[in-house]
Amino acid sequence: MAGFKESLKDAVRQMAFRTSVDSLKKKGVQNVNVLGMDRIVALVETAVHKSLKSKLVGMEREAVADATKAEFVRLMRSNEDLQREKSAIEKQKERAEEEVDQLRRDLSTQEQELQLRLEEGAAEVAAQYEGENAVIAQKVAEVMRSLGSTPMANAEGKVIELVMDIVTGERKATEEARAALRDREVDNLQRRIKKLNDSLALTENRLQQVSAMKNIDEGISSIYREVQGIGQGDAHAGKKKELMSEIFKANLKLQKG
Amino acid sequence: MTDTPQTPDEPAAPEKDHGVLYIGMDLGTSRTSVSASNGVRETVHSMVGYPKDVVSRKLLKRDVLFGTEALEKRLSLKMYKPLEKGVLKYTGDAEMDAEAKANLKAAQDLISEAIRLSKPRQDELIYCVIGCPAEASMKNREAILEAARASVDSVMLCSEPFAVAYGLEWLEDVLVIDIGAGTTDLCRMHGTMPEDTDQLTFDVAGDAIDAALDAEIEKQCPGAQRTIQMVKEMKERFGFIGDASERAMVTLPVNGKPTEFDLTDAMQNACKILVDPIVGGIHELVSSFDPEFQDKLKNRVLLAGGGSLLKGLDSAIEKAMKERLGGGKVIRIEEPIYGGSNGALKIAHDMPADYWEQLK
Repeated sequence: MAGFKESLKDAVRQMAFRTSVDSLKKKGVQNVNVLGMDRIVALVETAVHKSLKSKLVGMEREAVADATKAEFVRLMRSNEDLQREKSAIEKQKERAEEEVDQLRRDLSTQEQELQLRLEEGAAEVAAQYEGENAVIAQKVAEVMRSLGSTPMANAEGKVIELVMDIVTGERKATEEARAALRDREVDNLQRRIKKLNDSLALTENRLQQVSAMKNIDEGISSIYREVQGIGQGDAHAGKKKELMSEIFKANLKLQKG
Repeated sequence: MTDTPQTPDEPAAPEKDHGVLYIGMDLGTSRTSVSASNGVRETVHSMVGYPKDVVSRKLLKRDVLFGTEALEKRLSLKMYKPLEKGVLKYTGDAEMDAEAKANLKAAQDLISEAIRLSKPRQDELIYCVIGCPAEASMKNREAILEAARASVDSVMLCSEPFAVAYGLEWLEDVLVIDIGAGTTDLCRMHGTMPEDTDQLTFDVAGDAIDAALDAEIEKQCPGAQRTIQMVKEMKERFGFIGDASERAMVTLPVNGKPTEFDLTDAMQNACKILVDPIVGGIHELVSSFDPEFQDKLKNRVLLAGGGSLLKGLDSAIEKAMKERLGGGKVIRIEEPIYGGSNGALKIAHDMPADYWEQLK
């Protein structure tokens, strides 16, 4: 019985919704009646027992009590399943969000790396050429000085021209090799960026789906399992039936012509 | 629910085997309130805002905002107040202008939001009764029904003041005064559905008081800067008729400098514009009633709606009734904001199952 009471308390807590005194005041509520959890549970228990006692006897009472307990447990389980589902979806969403963040960080790093490589490549080539030119010129000048000044006055220019032809050929070959290497590297980086972009789009899409799923609030259960209608014991039952019929007729005319 | 065909990607609609959720809704010019059979009661200001451009949509991360939230972010939003004088700002003409279409969409979004606020479960049948003004046009009613059908299984409309009386089980010889923002509706109940001759509507209500208060401030507080929303908030905070229980001191900017004003007299003058038309309406409905029951009717006047929250209104009406009708008793209902929605919820509860089925 204690377990049943606890379950009942949990159910009441889950069905209740929170609000503040300020928000109630804004809605025009000045006074509220407060009913404690234990009192609610006691009232439900008393009502159930009284009802069973007055309407049922012996076996029937037990059968109804069993059926009620089974139904209550079924409802609690259904609620637990929903809670589990909700928490799984929330976890999925968190994971997807982390993944998206990581992918965004990776993508940004890769893009920066690519840009850096391209800039470094250009600077390296320029510096290297300048250095090589200076070394060649210096070496040729030394050779010319060792040759002395007599037979060939234009020898220096011709030698430099000759050497530069050779060097240009060498440079071209080296540049081609270097460019091929760099292109492979750039290709790799671009492929990785494309892959990351695809992955990011996919994860963002999944995140959107998970968010949409999470936003479907399971809602709060109604206190009614079936359509109600006017109670048999209602003092104004006859009059109310007439009024309901008139409202229905007006709506039928409006909605179905 | 709607009959729109499902695409293969859409999940199948859940089985409606969990129970029945009844929703009562009071669709008002200023506020829309819902009461539901799962214990939820919510109210939202009848204001809808859509982001003005792509930038504001990205910032707000939403396509539509409602009520107070929309009001707070109104600088980034295109705002709509889809109900005016108790009815949708929607003519029902085939060739509606863009503004009318936008108001219709805002009304539909507002109804969907009100139903969402009642926290329905997907696996429950949802039956809803909406209180709407008696003078709402046929096209207007159809628009409300169409908006509601998107979110519920079956829906009915009923007269607002009737819903208030039904909710309190006062079905005979009672006169209901429902003071909203756009209109004040009077309805006498005599055990059957009220007919046109049992109902009166006039547009001296909350908005008219705001306009009168604004004019008083203009006259008494030169240079005081304000918006109509600020005026409305002042009225809700200090509004009274009769003897003032406190001075209505408010601070308003004058040329950017906060300045304190005493609005007690202005408040009194603005709020009392309600009394005469109401007492005139009571007089008309009482004097045209069966003479045998006139006394009973005079002594069962119910005050409902947000406007009934004005301090001293019940006493002021009783005082005026004494002069014009020889007496009378005015009772303010316990929860004026939810009187209409609670009544609509009770009607939904009492409606037989086959009626709901036939309107699906």
